[in-house]
Amino acid sequence: MNIKASRLLASGLGAMLSMLLYACAVTGVEGSVGYDAGYYEPYGYDYGDWGLGYRVGPSRCCERRDEHRDDRRDDHGGDRGRGGHAPAYRPAPAGRPAPSIPGRSRRH
Amino acid sequence: MDRNGRTRYAPPRVCIAVLLFGICTAFARSADFELPPLNSPPSTETHPGKMLWADLVTPDLAAAERFYGGLFGWTFQSVRGGRYDYALALLDGRPVAGLLQKPIASGENRQPAWLTFLAASDVDSVKRLAVAHGAKVLADTKLYPMRGRQCVLSDPEGAVFALLASSSGDSPDYLAVTGEWIWSSLHAKDAGAEAAFYQNLFGYDVFDLPSDDGLEHLILSTDNYARASANDLARGSARRHSHWLNFVRVENAAASTAKVLALGGRVLVEPRMDRHGGMVAVVADPAGAPIGLMEWSDSDTKEEPK
Repeated sequence: MNIKASRLLASGLGAMLSMLLYACAVTGVEGSVGYDAGYYEPYGYDYGDWGLGYRVGPSRCCERRDEHRDDRRDDHGGDRGRGGHAPAYRPAPAGRPAPSIPGRSRRH
Repeated sequence: MDRNGRTRYAPPRVCIAVLLFGICTAFARSADFELPPLNSPPSTETHPGKMLWADLVTPDLAAAERFYGGLFGWTFQSVRGGRYDYALALLDGRPVAGLLQKPIASGENRQPAWLTFLAASDVDSVKRLAVAHGAKVLADTKLYPMRGRQCVLSDPEGAVFALLASSSGDSPDYLAVTGEWIWSSLHAKDAGAEAAFYQNLFGYDVFDLPSDDGLEHLILSTDNYARASANDLARGSARRHSHWLNFVRVENAAASTAKVLALGGRVLVEPRMDRHGGMVAVVADPAGAPIGLMEWSDSDTKEEPK
């Protein structure tokens, strides 16, 4: 192989290695920092009918839970969930009011 | 040529230059993308399950900046993000959110959305717990030195969320000012089952508040503060999939929704009274990403002794 061909080959290999390094850096190979938290969701947000009872926000401080729903209390004072069935979650004790969001103002 | 008359191979200068350029470019590109810390100065607080951050993924970053800048007064700082452009949204100089531009593949019917980041002290152990309870890993754990360790998951019903162990501690529990995130709600086919899933991850206390629509509305709390709600999906929704929805505090929801329309967005849920006595609304930005608006009156907030 003549010198010219060797140099051409070496240059080509160098360029390929450079491109590989660059590709690794921008595509998120372990150790690099390509950002990969962008996820599109399934199309379509139809919010449906938010009736008057459809409340999604926090309560004001210490809203009591419905004391008239005694049929939903279990033996430990917890809530039985909808339809009188034990809920999948562990309910907070029935006598404990629901807390609100933080009320402290940020210090400047 | 050596003493024996053989030709010695010397690496051509051009080859060395190309190689050095490639290496330098690669490392420079890596070093460019650095997400800033959430808290400066750092916080020593930890609040597992608290919503700490949100990233928007959108196909049009410039349009999103115009919309959110006009609506909330956010300003933006460009961050080079590898394959995609990323902008940091600031409110009074404090980072509040991230906006990531990513194209939607042609023919793909996908929805731009805000990704909710929930605080976790140990991302890997919470991720394992989540997977054991039916979650899927969408993006595995990755360290952004100043931001922290994070991963992206979908919960058992498919709602996408992220875990974040902030390198600068969790944001202290202050009342959000206008233009900051104030609340998050999960909308699910089975709010009770989803509440159980997240309770397993973060140890939430779960409160079932009164409702008169026959649907489940739960409050998830830690540290005696409400962190989020879990709600059965509203009736009459033709397209139903579980998702997180984050709310920004506004002074006047009606005025903000008018501004949304003027800025090219849409109103998905008109302003309506919620249980705290303030108005909430749900709007979509020009690319269709939903976001909540919530009024909150300072004077009504009472601080519960911890």
